[in-house]
Amino acid sequence: MSHSRLIRNSVLAFGALAFLNACGVTARMEPYKQTDVVIGEGDQVVVLARKHHATHEAEAGFVNCVSDALASGRDAIDVHPTREFEDMLYPWFEPSMAPLSTEELSELLEKPAVMDRVRGTGVRFLVWLDGSTERTSSGGGISCAAGVGGAGCMGLAWWEDDARYDATVWDIEQLESAGTIYADFHGRSVMPALIIPIPLIARPQAQACRGLTDQLREFLTSPYGYGGGPDLG
Amino acid sequence: MPAPTCRSTLPAPLLAATGVALAFLAGCASQVEVEATIPTPLIEPFPISVGLLLDEALTEYEHFEEIPEQITWTIRLGSANREMIEKVLGGMFATTTSVTEIPSPNNRSTLDGVIKPELEKFEFEVPVRGRDNFAEVWMQYRLKLYEPDGDLVADWPVSGYGKSEIMRSNREESLNEAVVVAMREAGAVIVTQFPSQPPVEYWLQQAQNTLQSGNTGMLISNDDSSPVTPDVSTGPNDE
Repeated sequence: MSHSRLIRNSVLAFGALAFLNACGVTARMEPYKQTDVVIGEGDQVVVLARKHHATHEAEAGFVNCVSDALASGRDAIDVHPTREFEDMLYPWFEPSMAPLSTEELSELLEKPAVMDRVRGTGVRFLVWLDGSTERTSSGGGISCAAGVGGAGCMGLAWWEDDARYDATVWDIEQLESAGTIYADFHGRSVMPALIIPIPLIARPQAQACRGLTDQLREFLTSPYGYGGGPDLG
Repeated sequence: MPAPTCRSTLPAPLLAATGVALAFLAGCASQVEVEATIPTPLIEPFPISVGLLLDEALTEYEHFEEIPEQITWTIRLGSANREMIEKVLGGMFATTTSVTEIPSPNNRSTLDGVIKPELEKFEFEVPVRGRDNFAEVWMQYRLKLYEPDGDLVADWPVSGYGKSEIMRSNREESLNEAVVVAMREAGAVIVTQFPSQPPVEYWLQQAQNTLQSGNTGMLISNDDSSPVTPDVSTGPNDE
């Protein structure tokens, strides 16, 4: 490693300290509830991913995270397993068949045996997750070198991830949209390297899962927890 | 004078290098035996009986692809093909029977029709580098429907697309999941669109009319006032 490069990387590494405060997640959540409906005794919820657009669909891991988080904890909600629900109603919730509006859901439930099968599952609310986590930018660099006297790295790398999801809640009994929760979690991670790389990683997707789950729990259990929102069709 | 040790020590790095190379080569060949469980579709089956001709090209289907400077894939889809076709078509018709040949005027089938499915195209992508972290699969089946006398009623292509996030760097598992998603999608399209293809719709109507007239005939000959319904008790949809 040349002398000037070493100085440059050292400056970058010390500059990383200034970035430490910048490492973290900023969150924005916008819940809208259109009805006063709440989850009742014996009612279940199923969390499904919107898959009709191939480019960005909610990751299976994220769907499982929300599903598991809703079903656990002190205020656990009865959550129906996603794959089991899709299997019981095959093929009506496959990507190309799944209803895109409550009108289409209404038409689907009129098909023979479909309503009976849905009732059999105990599911009252469908939670549609749409969105994804994407890397929005990245930069910097880390150089590593090894010699007789030892080895080490110098430099700074950083990247930003954006986790944008919305959860739309459909009430199967009333055949209407109960509302939607929009979540945008922006995370910036930095990895300064002073001899050894020190990763300071923000996890916006994990935080979006926690944030969305908390909001969904409140949404489904608090009749007056939210103000009126726009017409979601 | 002790024997020189270089002869015994030299092969060690060579052996290690060979071992690494072999391990690397082994890692460059992936084999996937696709395992799929397809649910029985939630539909009212047509009250007719069809034969399913599942030949070896479908039930032993194997896709081999060598991707330059990357990996060699061997993907076996045979049992998954059988599972999908038997579940989907078995759910669409009151009875399905396995047959071994296409009927002909000299060898008429006693069934209302015979369906021969084929897997026409299979394409996939499993990225090994870059930020794209999804295995993707596209497959196209072709359903050929024959009259009991062997006349071709319909020759219909149907495709399915599936993708699956690559979890814990397990590319084989993700590819398997992407194939299952694509098969489920193709099955969903078969269930919802195959009966509405004009020649198939006409064939279905004819077959049901024949069934009804047959039942009416039985009613007259038996002089029985109770309604006669087709016997669907042996259908796979009755599980």
